[in-house]
Amino acid sequence: MKLKIKFIVSLFLSALFFISCNDYSDLTPVVQDKVSGSADFTRFVTIGNSITAGYQSGTIYESAQMYSYGNLIAKQVGTDYQVPYVSDPGLGGRMEVQSLSPFTLYTNTSSGIPLNANYPAAYNNLGIPGALTYDVLFAKNSTTCASFVFSNSPNPYFDFILRGKGTQLEQALSLKPTFLTLWIGNNDVLGYATSGGTSPAAPTSVAQFTQLFGGIAQGIQQYKTQSGTNPGVLVGNIPNVSAIPFFTTVGPALAINPAVKWWQIRLMQQGSGLPLTGLIYASHEGGTNLGMLPFKVGFADSTALLSGSTLITLRGQTYAGLLGQQTGKFYRDNNIPVPLGIDTTKPFGFHPQNPFPDAFVLDPDEITTSNNAVTGFNNVIAGVAQQNGFYVVDINTKFNELRAADFTGGTVINGIPFKTTYVEGGLFSLDGVHPSSQAHGIIANEFIKVINAKFNANIPLVDVGSIPGSIFFSGKYSYRDNNLIIPYNLFDHLLF
Amino acid sequence: MKSKLLFLIITLLLISTNALAGGFQLNEHGAKALALGGAFTAVANDPSAVYWNGAGLSQFSGTHLMLGSSLIAPQSSFRGVYPDITKYRAANLVFFPTHFFATHAFSEKFSAGFGFTTPFGLGTEWDSDWIGKYLAVKTQLMTFTLSPVVTYSPIKQISLSAGFVYSFANVIIERKVQPSTILADDAYVSLEGNDNAAFGFNAGLMIKPTSFLTIGASYHSQVKYGFTGTATSTGPAQLQSQLPSGDISAELTTPQNIAVGIAIDITKNLKVSADYQMVGWSSYDKLEVKFEETGTVSSSPRLYDDSYIIRFGAGYRLNDQVSLMGGAYFDKNPVSTKYLNPSLPESDRLGLSCGIEGRLFDNFTITGSYLFIRAKQLTVSDSEEIYSGLGSTFNGTYNSSANIFSLGFVYSF
Repeated sequence: MKLKIKFIVSLFLSALFFISCNDYSDLTPVVQDKVSGSADFTRFVTIGNSITAGYQSGTIYESAQMYSYGNLIAKQVGTDYQVPYVSDPGLGGRMEVQSLSPFTLYTNTSSGIPLNANYPAAYNNLGIPGALTYDVLFAKNSTTCASFVFSNSPNPYFDFILRGKGTQLEQALSLKPTFLTLWIGNNDVLGYATSGGTSPAAPTSVAQFTQLFGGIAQGIQQYKTQSGTNPGVLVGNIPNVSAIPFFTTVGPALAINPAVKWWQIRLMQQGSGLPLTGLIYASHEGGTNLGMLPFKVGFADSTALLSGSTLITLRGQTYAGLLGQQTGKFYRDNNIPVPLGIDTTKPFGFHPQNPFPDAFVLDPDEITTSNNAVTGFNNVIAGVAQQNGFYVVDINTKFNELRAADFTGGTVINGIPFKTTYVEGGLFSLDGVHPSSQAHGIIANEFIKVINAKFNANIPLVDVGSIPGSIFFSGKYSYRDNNLIIPYNLFDHLLF
Repeated sequence: MKSKLLFLIITLLLISTNALAGGFQLNEHGAKALALGGAFTAVANDPSAVYWNGAGLSQFSGTHLMLGSSLIAPQSSFRGVYPDITKYRAANLVFFPTHFFATHAFSEKFSAGFGFTTPFGLGTEWDSDWIGKYLAVKTQLMTFTLSPVVTYSPIKQISLSAGFVYSFANVIIERKVQPSTILADDAYVSLEGNDNAAFGFNAGLMIKPTSFLTIGASYHSQVKYGFTGTATSTGPAQLQSQLPSGDISAELTTPQNIAVGIAIDITKNLKVSADYQMVGWSSYDKLEVKFEETGTVSSSPRLYDDSYIIRFGAGYRLNDQVSLMGGAYFDKNPVSTKYLNPSLPESDRLGLSCGIEGRLFDNFTITGSYLFIRAKQLTVSDSEEIYSGLGSTFNGTYNSSANIFSLGFVYSF
């Protein structure tokens, strides 16, 4: 009997052992080597600008960088991906939400610290905020980048990310990449567009872009020949710049703002003999010469603002609240001497002698210039890709689809509804230009779809719903009037 | 002698299995019952019969007091969210549900008893930044009951009991909320409530058709709690007006339980028992909190199903002083994987228990038992619990286990 009990007890004991000692570690990672098909992600490098860097709301900060599309792709394929992380709130000047109602922005003046500055090799993420196509080939530091060479404005991000180890392209190739993405050219038109067509006065010409982009492709081909390898190369194309919230937010809001009495303005302007009516803005490109004034002006009535045939930038929001007032605040704020012919005692933005500043307006001519540049660049990108065996990720088409869906209720992705509208649309960070972390998930999926199609791969798509939001509240809280409140210098340091 | 000692040590290490039942029911009311895998409905031969089966009080004469406590140390982990397999561990918490029973036999026919137990309770705590932070961070529920029981035995072979249950309870639910998928900031919401008076009843039956066979049955009614308390939220000032605060109320009905069991004396010294227990978990269909100031109601479906527990136990009387016990049970998961929530990781559970009872003096008995519970690894792929954006379902793999030690003292006079 005792023997029997011993037997039973030892049976219990062994059962306990077997059950409790099993650590259930037999779950295999979903990401396996085979999923990338013929694409080799052993050494994965991304070249680009601020979007590639994971720049959001005016700076780079870790909690956004870790969701850059490059990071997300690297995670899906399970490869190492080194990033020049900066702890939150980033390198300084992060835009945050100060209050929801009224919607008020605030610039966080504190900075984080670099977390990966001593990484000995080049970073896998070679996206540099502000980089033009020119810079990928030629910029080695803050004083050889295009913004210094052409407008004497050093861009410290080049020092921070390149660290004296050569240009973006040189560093990318120094890593002996087995897979490379190149998404460049946005800034070659964005700089023009976001400055209302003033600085620079024209986008990079298609001819220049052809040379520069071709030069990058040539560099990659040389590497292929010299190394005897054949890395996979994806190139992103340029999304339509004039449809981003940086341009599409202020104008329509002004058009329907009940505080602006458009019909009274029209009557007043017609009474004073003006040929057209509406918002009157300074215009160096198109515009009307009224005779007496040493500058040309343009007109945008409420219909033009609402439909977006004339665009006002987010930067202009600061001064949109001053329309109709006798003010020269724009010139005071920016230390600009009041130009000849301007009379700041006239109603701001509604009188030809006190026009709304040129730098905040993208008028129909400028929109055409921007759109032509985008089309031209995208043709070049497609052509170069075809010649060199690169594959195009058609970000432009994806963005246009999302934009088109705005008017039918938006696009639901992994359970989250998205629109291209400012902040609430969920696709853009607070600067109105750069994608949110979740939008990076959408972008990463566009890249992954091309990889899967062209390299016989089966990489799982990113679950966009699992990516956290990237818009922060500021610590301070204050009320003003009932408008979108953007401090006048909020966008001054913005890079693209 | 040497082998006997080894045997005892092994037994002490192993002592008994039967603690966390399905859902948030606790069945740790007595070290002996625990040691027998909870197959105690037809045994009920110590003062914990007040809980297990009041009819069992007819088996003893005189007055008995029993005090005991269990140490429950559950462990839970979650791996996910699918397809990711990152492992998250719940904090290792330790609970000490305590019980007290007193019984007195007035005559051969009439007995009465009184019990204090913790029939329902749970506690889970996850890191406040873990992936499921919007589903659960800290969850804690404790119910306490005071229960008088009377037992009547019209003939020697049959006894009946009826009891009244007075219960009080408190609950804490803490988790983060995500005001919007586009915001990086979130807020921490804490709900705390209690109910000072809820009522229920129980009944028991014990039949001894022959000298070696006992049949037992017990019924525990539902208890309906109405919690009142407060909500507090901490988060960005910008969100203050949108976060829950102020007085709240919530209702919770704990399930009814019907148990039937048999006990057989195989030899003079060996008794085996088996129980089937039906747990009416369908009472737990939703978790609903009402915010009194705004009148808004936050409701999440739970939709538990009725479930069952099958229990086996064996007790062997080594000599007049020492008895050894062992048990096992299977506890069916009452919740559909759709609604499985990390506040209460659930799956089918297997319990293995053992225990030792020693009569130190004629009127003083001490019982120690150990129970190990292994919850079956559960992989959820059809979750309807949302952990972030609207469509982000909380699919992944749960693993849980628990170690339970129980110690009880019975003093008779």
